[in-house]
Amino acid sequence: MNDETKAAVVCIAPSAIIIGIFTIFPIFCSFYLSLTDWDGLSPTINFVGFSNYSELINSEAFWNSIKVTLCYAMGVSIISVILGLILASLINRTTGPLASLYRVIYFIPVVTSFVAAAVVWRSLFSPAGFLSDSFRSIGFSPPNWLADPIWALPALILVGVWNRLGFNTVISLAALQSIPRAYYERAKIDGAGPLSRFFFVTVPLMKPIILLLFVMSIVDAFLIFDLAYVMTGGGPLGATNVVGLLLYKSAFRYYKMGFASAIGVMVFAILLLLTLLQMRLFKFGKEV
Amino acid sequence: MSRAVTTLEKVLVVLVLIAILASAISAAYIIGLAGIPAKVAELSDTTTKLVDKIGDLVAAEKELAGIVAGLGKEIGAYKERIEAIEERIAAVEEAIKPPTLPRAELTFWHYWDGTNKMAIEALVAEFNEKHPGIIVKPVYIGWGELLPKLMAAAAGGEVPEVAIADIVWMPKLVRTGMLVDLSELVKEIDYEDFYPELRKIGVYEGKIYSLPVSTNNLQLFYNKDIFRAAGLDPEKPPTTWDELVEIAKKCTDPEKGIWGMELYTGVGEGLTWQFQVYLWQAGGEFLTPDLKKAAFNSPAGKRALQFWVDLIHKHKVSPLAPWGLFAAGKAAMVMDGSWMVGAYRPGGWAEVPFDWGTAPMPIPSGGEYATNMGGEQIFIFKTTPEKEAAAWIFVKWLTSKETQIKWDMLTGFMPVRESVAKDDVYLAWVNTTEPRLKPFIEYQRYAHARPMVPQYPEISDAFSEEIQKALYGKVSVEEALANAEARVNEILKGESG
Repeated sequence: MNDETKAAVVCIAPSAIIIGIFTIFPIFCSFYLSLTDWDGLSPTINFVGFSNYSELINSEAFWNSIKVTLCYAMGVSIISVILGLILASLINRTTGPLASLYRVIYFIPVVTSFVAAAVVWRSLFSPAGFLSDSFRSIGFSPPNWLADPIWALPALILVGVWNRLGFNTVISLAALQSIPRAYYERAKIDGAGPLSRFFFVTVPLMKPIILLLFVMSIVDAFLIFDLAYVMTGGGPLGATNVVGLLLYKSAFRYYKMGFASAIGVMVFAILLLLTLLQMRLFKFGKEV
Repeated sequence: MSRAVTTLEKVLVVLVLIAILASAISAAYIIGLAGIPAKVAELSDTTTKLVDKIGDLVAAEKELAGIVAGLGKEIGAYKERIEAIEERIAAVEEAIKPPTLPRAELTFWHYWDGTNKMAIEALVAEFNEKHPGIIVKPVYIGWGELLPKLMAAAAGGEVPEVAIADIVWMPKLVRTGMLVDLSELVKEIDYEDFYPELRKIGVYEGKIYSLPVSTNNLQLFYNKDIFRAAGLDPEKPPTTWDELVEIAKKCTDPEKGIWGMELYTGVGEGLTWQFQVYLWQAGGEFLTPDLKKAAFNSPAGKRALQFWVDLIHKHKVSPLAPWGLFAAGKAAMVMDGSWMVGAYRPGGWAEVPFDWGTAPMPIPSGGEYATNMGGEQIFIFKTTPEKEAAAWIFVKWLTSKETQIKWDMLTGFMPVRESVAKDDVYLAWVNTTEPRLKPFIEYQRYAHARPMVPQYPEISDAFSEEIQKALYGKVSVEEALANAEARVNEILKGESG
């Protein structure tokens, strides 16, 4: 080991140890717990093999929650990544203090407490809230957004996009600004219009970033819990019963820690699969 | 001289000998014939008399023994009385003596926040002042964290000496085996004064592990402004389900987004515990008495659920909407908890800008008054005898009538003791400060406790999910109840906690 390597090891060690203790170790614990019937409270833990998993696979509620979560995650990540990219290109064209202002405005939701925001959104969507009152004032009879099996999930997706958009915009903007001007000038000379320049210069060069944002957004959205917990509680008719909520209820309401851990492991497996699939689709390795 | 004995001399000697012999024989004969039998008779006579005497003596002795035994008993009774008197003297001496209280420092876990936190801290300070030697330290732990912490403590960590718990957690806690059995100790207090349904909560396998410390219940809230706007008498809330429908119809105004009656239609305990009130009112039960099976799939259950479905779909007076319309002034009536009285009134945390009143929850025709209750129970963890004794003094004090009156006045909680609910001072306070608490106080005695099973949270969620399908018109009332029954039975069949 040369000095440089030593220094690197020493510098990495603290965070590696912290991640090891607080992330890696609990992951293994969680896997172990998923094979037990632990109730999260009592000192006795019985090994039950894969019975939690078989219960899970036969559970209608679990597959429904996976479906709902996938819909939510896809909705949020696709809309927020595309919208983020568009907003970033638009902001990229503005100059001066206005650009910074826009950046700040779009970034505010990211640094807002999600629970606090969810409470505000809930009252906006409430039948006695601003949104419904506005609809009523222009003569429409609004649905009870959050209590309507059709509208509840789109309402959550809207809030999810609102929350995610700022992050995706700012990262896209940073990536955009790192694309050398020369490429665009060359494209212009070759006769490409603004749209062609966007699709044939911006998008290919942004591919790794788009992929990264997409994966991050999906993983982030897949772990949705607080929003559904505050805004709908999983209802109506299970329309927003996301997997995070199911896990929370199993663990902390029904005290079925083993079963909840099995849900966690399944979510981990699904996310791993999704990420690999996305990397394959974008041919990640070859581009970078 | 040796002269020969003459023949005469020989004859004389023989004769004398014969005479002697004869007299001896005759004497013997005379005696034999007359004297011996007499003597024998005399002897036997004496013997008989003696036997009789002995019999008399035995009887006398028996009599004496009886007397002695009786005396012994009396002496025993006297001894007992003396002992009792001695005990009373000891007790009086104990009472006269400056109190030698167990010295202990007690940690007391609770989740009361806001004004309730201030109230418990004030009461604890008063207790500490009155009981030198005992120091109670109240520790606030959020509602969501208290049960996991209590269970972790019971599993082998540091237990607090005293703690409270939400009544729905008690089935888990009593099964830990870490709580002090209060069955003997409650003989020191007027235990029967607590409402029977509240007493049930702390009982497990016939033993008492906790005492009620606070409670609450659900009754009707109504918006007097909406009543007036609909041309109704704001002092005449509905008393029956039919009246409720009539009034709700008059109040409903889709143009303004105003509904007649708000129901809890979301998934979770909110729906379940509201629905249970209607179920009990219709004469139904949630689980069978042995708590092994669902009991709500009954005519009463169908009547209650049909009433809800009709309110939503037939009369169109209740919306399928998130909770909170009444507080927003968009629903004329709602069933909610006694704690909302303090929240809605001026200065409360959910103060509302309209005029409102409370009333007992309307009942179906032929039905009975019923409501659901929440609240807290207090219990002692097994520690050391001194600490347990000190903890009992605190628990006894906090649940006493006198402390409870102060507690209820400070918090607005419902009385857990009948004597408090009837207490003049308390009632005078209610009448002057917040008469809208009265329906809650008066109807607390009709409150039922939710079934005390450890799987209750899971049952409650499953039940609400199935019932919600009927409320959204996806399945019929019968199907919803049958599906809910199947799921609840499945959960109850599983591990017993």
